[in-house]
Amino acid sequence: MHVPDGFIAPQVYLPLYGVAAGFWAYGARRLRERLDEETLPYLAVLTGLAFVLSTVAIPLPGGTTVHAAGVGLLAVVFGAWTAFMAVSVVLLMQAMLFGEGGITALPLNALAMGLVGGAAAWSAFRGLRRWTERGALFLAGLLSVLLPALLVALVLGIQPLIAHRADGTPLFFPFGLSVTVPALLLPHLLVGLGEGVLTVLGYDFVHRLRGGQRA
Amino acid sequence: MLGLYLSAVVAITMVHDLGALAATLAGVLALAGREALRLLRRALLTVALFNGVVTATYLALAAVDGRVSWYYVGLINLRVVLLTTLTFLAAARIDPFRALAFSPTLTYLLSLASSQALALRRTFEDFRLALRSRSPTPPGLRDRYRHSAAAASYLIQKALADAGETAYTLRSRGFFDD
Repeated sequence: MHVPDGFIAPQVYLPLYGVAAGFWAYGARRLRERLDEETLPYLAVLTGLAFVLSTVAIPLPGGTTVHAAGVGLLAVVFGAWTAFMAVSVVLLMQAMLFGEGGITALPLNALAMGLVGGAAAWSAFRGLRRWTERGALFLAGLLSVLLPALLVALVLGIQPLIAHRADGTPLFFPFGLSVTVPALLLPHLLVGLGEGVLTVLGYDFVHRLRGGQRA
Repeated sequence: MLGLYLSAVVAITMVHDLGALAATLAGVLALAGREALRLLRRALLTVALFNGVVTATYLALAAVDGRVSWYYVGLINLRVVLLTTLTFLAAARIDPFRALAFSPTLTYLLSLASSQALALRRTFEDFRLALRSRSPTPPGLRDRYRHSAAAASYLIQKALADAGETAYTLRSRGFFDD
């Protein structure tokens, strides 16, 4: 789902930077209130871990692979705002330290994966865990992938409408919504199912390592 | 330097002239000096999959309508390669920690997370090489699942252990004292 540089028009990514900047400022304030000597290093290493886990390929039958993002797990363990800030740091690291991902796509990726994905995962987990904790965790992982994919598909799909030449030739991403929505949602449904399973297993694992302390 | 890079990125996305983009790419490569070929090769490898899929799909769909624009194919590929090359060049010359200097908490988070990411990434590479060196034939799906699970499990345990160590280290040095 990572969108590289060059496919999003400045008419879209510049306002998105403005929106993301507001959320980053608010998120930083929330983060400072919540972090202490135990949670700050814990969050930092989980952020580093989320970065590395996103490079762990999960094999699929047929020779292809998918990658976990860890947003669902971060959100249910630390909350939506913390997940948003951690994902933003991961994306910044990928773009500036390791040269992966795009700087023009950073606000879209951060808002989609971090904010929407994190908020969806946290809400699903909080709302459903009293009935079925495992079901809530699975849905959190699934939604943390599917909703961001939908948002990215919508933003990419409007590029030909926003930026084109007089003869209709696109200047940025060339495909409309009829292509982007199914093209992104269908593969990400598969990724989301995997992310759901990983969120369930990851939460159990973190819970055991933290000595039984639930989020 | 960061401001210059960001301004250049915005300017490049506002230019739709193939000649100007090609000249800018030549300028960026000239700035890179001896690193030019390595950066260009890395940029091409990085964008090959995404751009390849987008370009091939565009050509297939546009051919059906009889409206293939080679200008667009050149524009999107040239712009993406230029931006990626520029980002690689900037990543080598810009200190991202200064970009977050306004927030000590975020600077600390980035410092610790990036050092953890590098260490964990090296560990994961060791896991990958270990599987390869112990597999005379390509590992099957089941083995690759078990390998991914073992690697992820180890990385999580190591990360949590490192978090505890870091907390003790910071506390002993008075990082959290106001």
